[in-house]
Amino acid sequence: MIGPVLLIALPFLGAFLLPLVYQHYLRAAYWAAPMVVITNLIIALALWFGVSMVGPQSLLMGGFAAPLGITYYIDHLALLFIILLLAGSLSLWLGAWHRRLQEEMLTLLLIGSGTGMALSGDLFNIYVFFEIMAVASYGLTASRRHCGQSFAASLRFLIVGALGSSMLLLGIALIYALTGTLNLSHLAVLAPELLHGTTGLAAFAFMLIGLGVKAELFAVNTWVPEVYAHAPIRVIALLGGFVSKLAMLIIVRLLLLLYAGSDAYLILLGFGALGLLTAEFAALHATDLRRILAYSSMGQLGLIAIAFSIPGEAGLIAGVALAAHHAVAKPALFLLIENWGGHWQKLSGAVKVAPLASVIFLIMTLSLIGVPPLPGFWAKLLLFQAGLTAGGIFNWAIVLIVLTTLIETAYWLRINRQLFQSENNQPPVNIPPDRELWPAALLLVLLLLISLNIGTISDELTQMAYHANDTETYIKHTLPMWQTGE
Amino acid sequence: MNTGELLLELVLMPLVAFLVGLLLVLMMRKVRAKIERRVGPPFFQPVYDIVKLYAKKTQISHGYMHDVAMMMLLGGYIASEIFLPVPGMDGVAHQADLLTLMYLLMVPMLGMAMGVGQTANPNGSIGISRALTSMLAYDIPFVIVVAGAAIHYGTTSLPTIIEIQQQQGLQSWGLTTMPLLALAGLMTMHAMLGKEPFELYVAPAEIATGPMVEMSGKYMGTLFVMQCFQLYTVGVLYTTLFLGGGLNWLTFLPKVFAVVLIAVSITNVYGRYRTEDAVRWLWKWPVMIALAGLALVMSNV
Amino acid sequence: MTTLDFLFLLSLSTVLILLLFGRRPMAGWFAVAAYAMQLIMLLAIWKGFSGDISVPSSFHFMIQGHQLHWGMNGLGWFFALITIIAAMLTSAFSAGEWGQQQKNMHLQHVAMAVNVFAMLLLLSSMDFLSLFIGWELVSWAAYLMMTQRGGKAADAAFRYLLYAMAGAMMLLTAIVLINVRIHSFQFEAFWDALPVLPSALLWTISLLFVGAFGIKMALLPFHLWQATAYSETPGAGAAFLNAIAARMGLFALLIVLLKPIGMERLQILAMPLFAFIDAQSLLLWLAALTAIIPTFIALQQTDARLLLTWHGIGQGGFMLLGLAVGTPMGIAGGLLHILNYASYQAALFLAVTAVIYRAGTADLDRLGGLITRMPWTFIVLLMGIIGLAGLPPMNGFVSKWLIYKSLMDANMPMLLVAASISTLGTILSVYKLIHNIFLGQLRKAHFTLKEAPLSMIAPMLILVLIAFVTGAMPGLALTIVDAAQAALGYDLLPHHLGGITWPSGSLNMLWVTGILFYGIGIGAVIFLFLGNKRHVTHQWDNYAGGHFLSAKTPYQYSHNFYPGLMRIIGGWFGQQVLNIEMGLRHFAKLLSEVFYDSYQVVYASLYLVAALVVTLALIVKG
Repeated sequence: MIGPVLLIALPFLGAFLLPLVYQHYLRAAYWAAPMVVITNLIIALALWFGVSMVGPQSLLMGGFAAPLGITYYIDHLALLFIILLLAGSLSLWLGAWHRRLQEEMLTLLLIGSGTGMALSGDLFNIYVFFEIMAVASYGLTASRRHCGQSFAASLRFLIVGALGSSMLLLGIALIYALTGTLNLSHLAVLAPELLHGTTGLAAFAFMLIGLGVKAELFAVNTWVPEVYAHAPIRVIALLGGFVSKLAMLIIVRLLLLLYAGSDAYLILLGFGALGLLTAEFAALHATDLRRILAYSSMGQLGLIAIAFSIPGEAGLIAGVALAAHHAVAKPALFLLIENWGGHWQKLSGAVKVAPLASVIFLIMTLSLIGVPPLPGFWAKLLLFQAGLTAGGIFNWAIVLIVLTTLIETAYWLRINRQLFQSENNQPPVNIPPDRELWPAALLLVLLLLISLNIGTISDELTQMAYHANDTETYIKHTLPMWQTGE
Repeated sequence: MNTGELLLELVLMPLVAFLVGLLLVLMMRKVRAKIERRVGPPFFQPVYDIVKLYAKKTQISHGYMHDVAMMMLLGGYIASEIFLPVPGMDGVAHQADLLTLMYLLMVPMLGMAMGVGQTANPNGSIGISRALTSMLAYDIPFVIVVAGAAIHYGTTSLPTIIEIQQQQGLQSWGLTTMPLLALAGLMTMHAMLGKEPFELYVAPAEIATGPMVEMSGKYMGTLFVMQCFQLYTVGVLYTTLFLGGGLNWLTFLPKVFAVVLIAVSITNVYGRYRTEDAVRWLWKWPVMIALAGLALVMSNV
Repeated sequence: MTTLDFLFLLSLSTVLILLLFGRRPMAGWFAVAAYAMQLIMLLAIWKGFSGDISVPSSFHFMIQGHQLHWGMNGLGWFFALITIIAAMLTSAFSAGEWGQQQKNMHLQHVAMAVNVFAMLLLLSSMDFLSLFIGWELVSWAAYLMMTQRGGKAADAAFRYLLYAMAGAMMLLTAIVLINVRIHSFQFEAFWDALPVLPSALLWTISLLFVGAFGIKMALLPFHLWQATAYSETPGAGAAFLNAIAARMGLFALLIVLLKPIGMERLQILAMPLFAFIDAQSLLLWLAALTAIIPTFIALQQTDARLLLTWHGIGQGGFMLLGLAVGTPMGIAGGLLHILNYASYQAALFLAVTAVIYRAGTADLDRLGGLITRMPWTFIVLLMGIIGLAGLPPMNGFVSKWLIYKSLMDANMPMLLVAASISTLGTILSVYKLIHNIFLGQLRKAHFTLKEAPLSMIAPMLILVLIAFVTGAMPGLALTIVDAAQAALGYDLLPHHLGGITWPSGSLNMLWVTGILFYGIGIGAVIFLFLGNKRHVTHQWDNYAGGHFLSAKTPYQYSHNFYPGLMRIIGGWFGQQVLNIEMGLRHFAKLLSEVFYDSYQVVYASLYLVAALVVTLALIVKG
């Protein structure tokens, strides 16, 4: 089937052809990149319906037999994040009146590599796509001209990222040394005997650190506040909202397929908990709006990590729900603060000049805190259920989450108070122009639609988590490809 | 009880209370005189005092609340008397109980506080503040005593309490079955009467008689009447709770007079406590004794 | 579409209409009419439930196999009645002159409508998830109402919201713990499982529930937020909040833990280390402490509103005291106290608001003698404080009597003493309130004060009249309480119009009130007809130890009203709980600074390497 191939190939093709189009057909160039993304989105949706009807699919890329060939596994879990990535980058394209060739190229590369990474069933293939994605993101974070600080921030990002990628490669090398294969399904079969020992866990630690740079995990997320403070808003929304989730998705795949039932879950729990704790408290102290949102992102990703670290379907559902919710809520907030920026106390009385923006901000933050009946609450409820059912150390994780929810309420409410209640007659803030408001408003509508249909959506999520957890099916689907190749 | 009896009791009970109260006031003044080696006032002196006060030409009021307060004062006590069973007349004591009586007795005090408030004299306000403070002080041991007694008797209905105590004569009196509570009760009743050493709300030398500074004429007369009712009520209440009530007036009245005699005797040989000292004392000794008594009662329950 | 659906729709449309058209001048009167319609709809629901059966709502949805549904039974109806009447009367208060001088009356109307809607939702919850949704909505709606004025009000509201979120998280944890155990969010499943839950789990759940609901009803030690938050809310809204908002916590506690089956379990659930204390005693003593300590804090306040709100906290403890006894009389007393308290507290708050409206201040040290200028407000306040103090003939006395009696019958004399101490403190405190505002010398600046307008007096008078009538004829209120008690599952307290007839001491308020007024009548006759005619003198015609009073030296005793008492008990109130709260806040600030600084690194890679090394070390160690 050609769908997945197109999903990956089209963006790459588009990226490499874009300079030519820009040079010769300027008017068409305006629409070229969005068209690619739209096409991808249609294909992804078609694949989604396909998987809904016949179940997960697998594909041998290029028809090359394994072990040299690479398998691709298309299921709902990967498709969800791919669709989010596509829809997100599309909506971020709306209203961007300042088009630059380099940015578009890098974004297309990001999309293509992200899709490939999500669908891939081969460890090294994942690494390759991860690297492309990383380089694209380094480039994007530095794309704000005339801002020396953004260069410095992206340089730091690059250093940490490069180090992380080396760690990832080291981990993959360790796994290859232990098992002799890089195919995920083969590894899934071999994992219980070979990978759950000390060396295997060490390999997981390496890979976690490497992937964790993108997934904004504790200890490797120090780049986040700097980059978020200086990079363009759209880039941040893309990185924080969608790229980080893709990295998290890979971690989840590794956990599910390779490390099911081992202590690797606890390693992720530790990182997630520490990340949540430190980031939320740091957000309490931050005063620059962009940094507050940066720390909040880090905290939420820590929360998602905790959710994914709970073994079993329950944790999976909770993690996916939280990730999807964050992917909808956070980009909206970033879009709103593009023109606001600066110290949060400067927002005094914003409701008078920008009522719609203030309301969107309020509702999004309420959803992040977890106020019913917004979707954020249902996601947190799923997390509580998963955690308290698992018991043991996860009870303490829930206690931590309760505490950090309080901290979240404090700092979000501080800002909302400023928005809606003006103490003194300060000059009004800038209104975000309509072009930015439209995507944010769309996201709000999406959020509200989700809250109205929470029943059906939660059922879908349950199905998705069930299938994702089903390692047997994965192996069943992909291993014949491996074995027939022999 | 039919309507006729009821109407009779509605009139008689307050009247009897007033008359006995007059006698109690007389006894109080005679006792003081005897201790001070004087002859003391003649028999009808309390009546003469009341008539004199009411007959004064100038009756000064400070506002309508001042007047209403006096009516509330009288009314509250008259109502309380009707709920207090005495030999031969139960009144409406079956419709309310000891707890109700306790809180009903606070209505006249509140009324007086209102009236004094409107006189707008700071001495009066200070006096009320002290009165309320001393009420807080003596009501705590009083509540412990009442709670203990109610649990011991198993009921808060006054006629029933009297019945229980009369079953076996002296043996079943509250005094013998709950001696500690009876002792604490006596101390508390003394404070309730506002006699030295707990006379802090009057304090003539310090706050110019406190609440009574702006009361003259019939207002003072009403306070005088109130004093009669007060002595009577406190005496009868203590008798009902601890001294077995009385089968008839011959056995009943001596008990009442005995209780009040103890109080007014002690009062004549004491100075006046300061507010903090009064509060501290009342929260120490009567409370400790009452708690000990309560513990004994609870262990028997 | 059931009657309950109509009620929800009415309430929701009130919110929407007020949101859209709230700036028009007649908005206030529209609000009154809307609440009146809701009241009529509520009364129409009265016949729909009996005992356990409730009036369902057609709205329900499924999520993850759990069903959320709504319905109103007697208990919810009881609270809803108080809510809507309180909203109606306080809106009437603010519909006239008072509302016109407020800056954003529109927002206040909308906030009150949202509150009523949220409370109706909460009161109709039929399972834990709908309870949680309603709970959060109520918390945020109350925040909306509290924060409007800005400044100090917004600060107090912010503090409230943090407490409320902590409570909500505790509630969520408890609910999920229950679900993990019994795999259901339905109330019935929980009640059935109560007798067989293991002790450790039941302790955790009970503590979480009491914590969550206790924060809302300001149970010690979670009471710090309520006084300032409720007193800074603008007038009519404050009266509404004081009357009923905190009692939502009581509703939730009742419906979750304090049913008969829960009470039985609580009575045998012993504490881990102190095996002679069981959960019920703990709850009772917590309630008793909540009744005493805030009352004496109220005694020390110099702001009239703060005094009243601290009393609100204390009376909440009183209500819980009655409810935690668990006997039919105790439950009836506690429930009746909720209703009674709402009537006179709303009246008191409205009266104080009227005083603020005319005199411009609620500072007790700057008022005095207003009885001649604002007589009707004085009468309202007088009847209100008689009710608050719990003296006959007002309704406060009846509910307090029931609570005392139930404590007596249950052989808990020390709790009775504790409750009485609270009442005594209340008497002292409310006398200070009325004396410092209405009695004493009138200040020169207030010589020309006018009485509050009719639009403000009428609702207050209606409230105290309700208090008086239900005091003289408690049977009326007890009928409503019966419905709530039956919904809970307790036996009913047999009563008649005037009160109850009980073997160990009855109470018939008809007789008590009647005899009291008879006595006052006789007193009036004696006083008015004996002796000469009296004449009224000027307020400066007082005994002043030899010199004369004048406008410059009027001499008023109001500051530090109970010095002797304060010298003894003043030192006991050392702000211990406040210090704990401040300590927590500083700790959070410290942590936030530490972690913020930890992210300002130059060598980010150091963190990476360190984390890697530590993780590998942990893995190798096992």
